[in-house]
Amino acid sequence: MSTGLLLLSLCPAIAMTDTVIHSLWMSAGVILVSLLSTIARDVLDRSSASTATSPKGAVRLLRALLISSVLTAAFEAGLLAVSPTASASMGIYSPLIAVNVLVIADRQPAARSLARSASGALGRGLAVSASLLVVAIFREALGAGTITLFPAGAFRGTIIVGPLVDQPVRALGLAGGALLCLGYLAGALQAIATRRASAASEGEKPR
Amino acid sequence: MSAPPPVPPADAPRPSSAPRPGVAPHLRVAMSSKRMTWLAAASLVPALGLGVALYGVPALMVTGASLLCALAAELATTLPWRRFTLADGSAALTGLIIGLVLPAGAPLYVPAAASAFGILVIKQSFGGLGRNWMNPAMGGVVFATLSWPGAASWSIAPLGWPAGAALTPLQALRAALSMPGSHQATPLAVLEKAGYSFSGLDSGVVGWINTHLLSPAGLALRQGTLDVFIGHVPGAIGASAPLLALGAAYLLHRRVIRWQLPVIYLGSFVVLSLVFGGLASGQGWSAGGPGFHLLSGNLVLAAFYAAPDPVTSPLTGTGKWILGVVLGALTFLLRYFGSLGDGAAAAIVLGNCLTPLLDLWTFRRPEAASRGAA
Amino acid sequence: MMYPTKLLKGGIDPPSVTTVPPGSAIVNAALPSRALIPLLQHAGAPARCLVKPGDLVREGMIIGRAEGLRSAHVHASIPGVVREVRPFTLPTGESCEAVTIELGGSFETSGKPTVRRAWDGLHRADLLQKIRAAGVVGLGGESLPTHLKLAADAGRAVSLLAANGLDCEPSLSVDAALLRQKPAEIVEGLRICQSLLSPRRTVLALGDHSEELVGEFERLIDRCGMTAEVLVLPARYPQGHEQLVASAISGTPPGADPTVTVLNVATLLAVFDAVVLERPLIERVMTVTGSTLSRPQNLKVRLGARVGDLLEECGGQPATQKVVMGGPMRGVSVQSLDLPVTKGTLGILALGASEARAPAELPCIRCGACIEACPWGLAPTRLFKLVRIGKATAAFREGLSRCTECGCCSYVCPSRIPLSSILGQGKLRHSREATR
Repeated sequence: MSTGLLLLSLCPAIAMTDTVIHSLWMSAGVILVSLLSTIARDVLDRSSASTATSPKGAVRLLRALLISSVLTAAFEAGLLAVSPTASASMGIYSPLIAVNVLVIADRQPAARSLARSASGALGRGLAVSASLLVVAIFREALGAGTITLFPAGAFRGTIIVGPLVDQPVRALGLAGGALLCLGYLAGALQAIATRRASAASEGEKPR
Repeated sequence: MSAPPPVPPADAPRPSSAPRPGVAPHLRVAMSSKRMTWLAAASLVPALGLGVALYGVPALMVTGASLLCALAAELATTLPWRRFTLADGSAALTGLIIGLVLPAGAPLYVPAAASAFGILVIKQSFGGLGRNWMNPAMGGVVFATLSWPGAASWSIAPLGWPAGAALTPLQALRAALSMPGSHQATPLAVLEKAGYSFSGLDSGVVGWINTHLLSPAGLALRQGTLDVFIGHVPGAIGASAPLLALGAAYLLHRRVIRWQLPVIYLGSFVVLSLVFGGLASGQGWSAGGPGFHLLSGNLVLAAFYAAPDPVTSPLTGTGKWILGVVLGALTFLLRYFGSLGDGAAAAIVLGNCLTPLLDLWTFRRPEAASRGAA
Repeated sequence: MMYPTKLLKGGIDPPSVTTVPPGSAIVNAALPSRALIPLLQHAGAPARCLVKPGDLVREGMIIGRAEGLRSAHVHASIPGVVREVRPFTLPTGESCEAVTIELGGSFETSGKPTVRRAWDGLHRADLLQKIRAAGVVGLGGESLPTHLKLAADAGRAVSLLAANGLDCEPSLSVDAALLRQKPAEIVEGLRICQSLLSPRRTVLALGDHSEELVGEFERLIDRCGMTAEVLVLPARYPQGHEQLVASAISGTPPGADPTVTVLNVATLLAVFDAVVLERPLIERVMTVTGSTLSRPQNLKVRLGARVGDLLEECGGQPATQKVVMGGPMRGVSVQSLDLPVTKGTLGILALGASEARAPAELPCIRCGACIEACPWGLAPTRLFKLVRIGKATAAFREGLSRCTECGCCSYVCPSRIPLSSILGQGKLRHSREATR
């Protein structure tokens, strides 16, 4: 995964994790658009007569961009209809769903069944959502002292996190806090991967 | 140590370093890095002592909180791995510096969080002593100032000031200069015009000097000169520039720190404030109160204790000169044109980010293709 | 007299290193009753043993023949009977055979009047053969067979022949004492080497504590009709290293230069002995000193003598905790006092408890002291980190090959990191990888 693409996807990640509810909306968008665009791409691939006529390289990228952009626009319109406030708060960052979808898309899809591609896209979308959620909880709970969710019934929608709400750690609620949390998450994943790799290589070493 | 290598074939040139039992050299220089850190911590004690004398128990609580939290954070990240690193003194020094930079009125969670952040995130997450690229104390202070901008600058009146006086001279100066028509020749004149009153000790001593010594010569010291000089003003606990300079002079003498970075830093700040500083307060060129600004805020502490920290300062002499100029420029900009308080900690943090680049640029590698290279 | 064109950059000035005052005379050490002579006392292949237990040997008789070109003969330093020939491990880790000779019989050359032979008419090859036959090796520390150093190839012009009169370690005063006591012989040895190499320039380098000898040396040089200059260098460690002496004379940055030949004055004396007196190399002067010795002195010792006996001769106290063969900066600390002195032993250093303590290593704090101290302009702080993570080749690209393990970086490191030995291991690892 090239560094440039990763940096590009940092922008919506930082922007939409300032509150939990925003990250939930963003995750919903990513999952939905990712799922639908994978299905669309698979259907288009299968419908082309042979691999010789299916698009390659830049044309392929353009096609993927087009599909995810159209779907993102559809999602935006739907969000506006369902919850205008959510749409307003996502603001200029909702088109970035397309970017996120492209970043997590499967680059060289093997010839798999539609169901497997779809579930793969769903899984990747859920993974993005999980990390966005972790960062959002970290940022909002520490940086503002609240956790904002959907109001439902008697629940007003906001969980107060103890005394932090009076004197929250503002620095962690800013963009820097998001980068800090992402850094530690990345470090933890790297540590797990390294430990797994060294355990595997130790298993292979002749005793 | 592994077994000695087998005798190489006859006539093969033998490398000059077959493993030797017992490692040469058998002499070492007397100063160790442990001793350097503890000496630096000890040299801060005079300034700490004055701070405690002026502010009393709150100062002890703030410094104690930051020290304890720093030590606890270091223990928490080393004991589970069966290492004990408190003896090298760096956690204690970090905690002490953070305590001295914060004001005595700060609620205790401020120094505790600053120390914890500094040690856990800035130092230990990158590998511990020697691996951090940002000064832990300054990074922690910047974190605290950004997170709780109000609480982290709550100063209380020191001994000898009217109770309730909580504005530092720098804050008062900034407030005064934002009003039209307040520009005067020196910062102390601005403060006097704005009605900022210093302590009774200051008015007494300065008055005596003026009447008995200076007025026959036609000169006069402004009210506030003594207070600002010895650091007897609301603000950070360890704001006494003369005592800090004394400690720093001892460290320079023992070669714990080198003179290049602090002196160039302060020099660049003074030059910039002389040339450009007056412009901000409407006094034109060649004004700007460098003396007042040198003695206010945490500039002296940052210049002598945070900037020349060997771990985060450039390795080469050229790098040190460049960084000194950059730090002075950043502090000048942040202080005169910014709103972040005294700007020294933020300048150090920004300058630390520059250090690896300076190392890369100013390092002269010995020519790889020298004659006789193996 | 001339002064150096290039001053030493870096280096160290260790305070209070016990040494023998340069004015004190060289004392003959007591003859060893039993000499243990290793057959590897030089850089190169071990000599092949020519004797077996029970053989009678004369003083100065050859007992080991040089094996191959890069090797040297080994001679018996005392007359007597060969007691045993056994495998032996040197303090540096190399193994060879060693011959134990028990003192007995009469002395052939010691105590007898010496006959001086003329050498001016000798052919070059004969001169080299005499030097080779005497088993002369470099006595300044590297122990390279001297006939190799003096055999100039036809195509290689020697630009500089330097006589190194600076002791290479802070605790040594061998060269200073020899310069004071045997100036004429040293100058004659230098003249022999000059005739063999025909260098463009010949310089005798003295340390600044030998400055009062300059006049005498200039007179001696004039009297034998030589063209040579005398140079005084500040005796700051590691100025005595041959690359730094050459750099100070020629003004070029320090590095290995094949057109420069540097010979220690003790080696020049051995060359004189070999050519003029036809005596093989069976004894050498070394400095036995240390804070726990009551009589530190420069001793002239027969090769194969026991380290422990020499320490006792100098008033070895029970307070001695650590014994180092060589000097404090590059010497090898030894575990046993039964080790013999060899051609490469420059001195013996006895350290007390406080000096012998090995300090704990702390992380590198990037203070830059090692960069300031390195006379070769390297950055040990970068190099040792590269070696430690296994990137010895990257370290080589940054100049690790120029490191001579002088120890200045380890000396100044406040975190007590053994920089010079890590760099040495890096060089070793790289040379192993290169030859694989």
